[in-house]
Amino acid sequence: MPEQPYEPEGAIAGTGMGGAMDLGASEATTLERGPGAPSGGGPAGRPRSLGSDAWRDLRRNPVFLLSALVILFLVFISLWPSAIAPGSPLSCDLAKSQDGPGPGAPFGYDGQGCNVYTRTVYGARTSVTVGVLATLGVGVLGSVLGGLAGYFGGWPDALLSRTTDIFFAIPVVLGGLVLLSVVTSNTVWPVIGFMVLLGWPQISRIARGSVIGARQHDYVQAARALGASDSRILLRHIAPNAVAPVIVVATIALGTYISLEATLSYLGVGLKPPSVSWGIDISAASPYVRNAPHALLWPSGALAVTVLAFIMLGDAVRDALDPKLR
Amino acid sequence: MRGPTRAGRAACAIGAALMMAGCGGGGGFGGAGVLTSSWGDPQNPLEPADTNEVQGGKVLDMIFRGLKKYDPRTGRAVNMLAERISTPDSRTFTVTVKDGWRFSNGEPVTARSFVDAWNYGASLRNNQRNAYFFGYIDGYDKVHPGSGRQSADTLSGLRVTGPRTFTVRLDQKFAGFPDTLGYAAYAPLPRAFFTDHAGWLRKPIGNGPYQIASYSKGSAMTLKKWNGYPGPDPARNEGVTLLVYTDSNTAYTDVLAGNLDLVDDVPATQLKNVRTDLDGRYINTPAGILQTLAFPYYDPKWNTEGARKVRTGLSMAIDRAQITETIFRRTRTPATDWTSPVLGTAGGFQAGLCGHACDYDPAGARRLIREGGGIPGGRLKITYNADTGSHKQWVDAVCNSINNALGNDKACVGNPVGTFADFRNQIGQHRMSGPFRAGWQMDYPLIQNFLQPLYYTDASSNDGKWSNKRFDRLVDQANAETDRAASVRLFQEAEKVVRDNMAAIPLWYQNGSAGYTARLSHVALNPFSVPVYNEIKVG
Repeated sequence: MPEQPYEPEGAIAGTGMGGAMDLGASEATTLERGPGAPSGGGPAGRPRSLGSDAWRDLRRNPVFLLSALVILFLVFISLWPSAIAPGSPLSCDLAKSQDGPGPGAPFGYDGQGCNVYTRTVYGARTSVTVGVLATLGVGVLGSVLGGLAGYFGGWPDALLSRTTDIFFAIPVVLGGLVLLSVVTSNTVWPVIGFMVLLGWPQISRIARGSVIGARQHDYVQAARALGASDSRILLRHIAPNAVAPVIVVATIALGTYISLEATLSYLGVGLKPPSVSWGIDISAASPYVRNAPHALLWPSGALAVTVLAFIMLGDAVRDALDPKLR
Repeated sequence: MRGPTRAGRAACAIGAALMMAGCGGGGGFGGAGVLTSSWGDPQNPLEPADTNEVQGGKVLDMIFRGLKKYDPRTGRAVNMLAERISTPDSRTFTVTVKDGWRFSNGEPVTARSFVDAWNYGASLRNNQRNAYFFGYIDGYDKVHPGSGRQSADTLSGLRVTGPRTFTVRLDQKFAGFPDTLGYAAYAPLPRAFFTDHAGWLRKPIGNGPYQIASYSKGSAMTLKKWNGYPGPDPARNEGVTLLVYTDSNTAYTDVLAGNLDLVDDVPATQLKNVRTDLDGRYINTPAGILQTLAFPYYDPKWNTEGARKVRTGLSMAIDRAQITETIFRRTRTPATDWTSPVLGTAGGFQAGLCGHACDYDPAGARRLIREGGGIPGGRLKITYNADTGSHKQWVDAVCNSINNALGNDKACVGNPVGTFADFRNQIGQHRMSGPFRAGWQMDYPLIQNFLQPLYYTDASSNDGKWSNKRFDRLVDQANAETDRAASVRLFQEAEKVVRDNMAAIPLWYQNGSAGYTARLSHVALNPFSVPVYNEIKVG
């Protein structure tokens, strides 16, 4: 494990020093093992990488702290909604239809007499699940396809680029209405699948550009000259240096996937009851807006805050990871 | 007639939020003495025998008059073009048409106008949706065979015997036949319909108090008063402009804003405010509409003795009183039989015929469903169309009521289908796996119309394919009975068979509701929940 000393930072290292260390590590194993001296880090003994720089910036960024707090809270209530919300989100008493706040129901009741507070809390789970899984799916598929195309070039690259053009031409909401209206499943998977299907070209384009940029660097040429295999170059040298833009775009996209889920559920093609989703609740409450605006405003507010938190987080991460933009 | 609200409103439903302005029409249509009214685009061309939905029927009601007309207040069939209809045996009828009636192009209405129209409507070649209305007439099986080619062009049971007389021979006794003749499918047609069919479709010619002045599909139809109308019920306004709305909420807010004079379907979610919004210019009158939950008997799971108990249990798990009060603000009345109060007790309506099976009784419901082996398939999925009416609200409420009664949050769930047309297609293809919304708006005010088309073996609107020999026998006997009271009693016996098997769960009787602006007076809805346009005064 020759690269061991540098790996924690190298994993998200940017350019310059990190790359140089990689090159050195892969070749000069014996040399480094010998004296045990710090081989290029700062005088403090612990090398500073872009990753640690970014983390230091983030800790001092109030936007990041605020959004991270909101997101931690959302993750908590997604995992344990019953910790703060009483009862079941599906138990509704029509006699309480459109009532205002009452004991155990600080947000009041909707048109069906369901507890708006309980439903809003339980709705977070759907949103967070869909957002996180869709982002993971999009990130993995997009960066693998984009990375391979960018690295190998040639006709697979041309094919992929034209394919992404085609996907970019599909309007998201229209595509959702057409594709998801034929699905009868009650789970989150069709929605996630649809988002991955339409979301990967964006990431793939970013990853492709980023890999093409990294491929030109000297350390990659050197590794190739030394006989490293394609998979080794891609995984060890290019991926760590090309992943930052993908992380930034994916984090911002997470917020938009959450709002897309709500949009599709609002239109009746996303999640379907008995799933609990903010989009479903907003749709159900909108005809009652004159008499029971609370049933509309609370889930809408929760959705807005959640989307905002993820987008703010994405912004903060971008500022930290991409110093060139500052 | 299937369902009180129709596919016409579906076109913009999905994009409703984005397109409200585009679908809403707008002001500027009503001139002096002309009123504007909300409308849905008709599903089919406006041929009388091809229109089986409410929106097209609205127009046919204004431009045609038939042998009978249903009194706008009582619903009783009274003679209109018929001078008399006589029969010695309830099977052969002799019809005499009144003198002096004309179509709006000047052509006199004769016996032939009716016979030609009925032959056209019955013929398989013309593929008319209401062809089955002629199914009682002798020779129908020749002109409209269930399979294969037709072996005759005209019904052998229809004979013109004079300029103003013709005879109708039925294939069985049917004492109530004359009372069905007010339905639009039986309207007379002018020669122009047959000689210049395309031209007639562009601008239909009828014999009613209104004439069609213009029609642009998907947007508006203008009708103007026919000044030469010879009938006793001429229009008391100068005309009606029907504006297409895809969302009754938009139509309602347009009435509030003064862009529209009359909305004939007040959305359930606005009912809480309607009295103050419109300052009393709101009517809420009983209509011949019954909402039920039908079941797919082609699915063996639902066709067992246990499932019968489950259905009865489900009926007892629905808190009809609470739902009609909260969701519908008393524009629906909990149903206690399978007909409608507009029939009157003499006509066959019998409050309480359903008995305990329609009372809310959670404990009884739990017991019956347990005895019946639980809900077939484990979970109840109520299928409905999401684009019209206020179906989502009540289906969710029915499911919550069932869930609460059974103590299981996930026992029942609504299954929305995007559009009415798709919903009807899925039903037609027998793709239902559980109960589905079934609304029945009567075609004519006879108890027969509430039972035979829905529950008789292989009847036209028996969507669930329910079949019961005893029910069929009782209906045959009731149709053959010449004494009206005895016939009604036999139909009620048949209705009890429906009850004992809970063939469909009756939910509530639906009222017609309408709101209008201060420009209008004398606004009323007939028992079919359609505004009586010719009586409305403007200004």
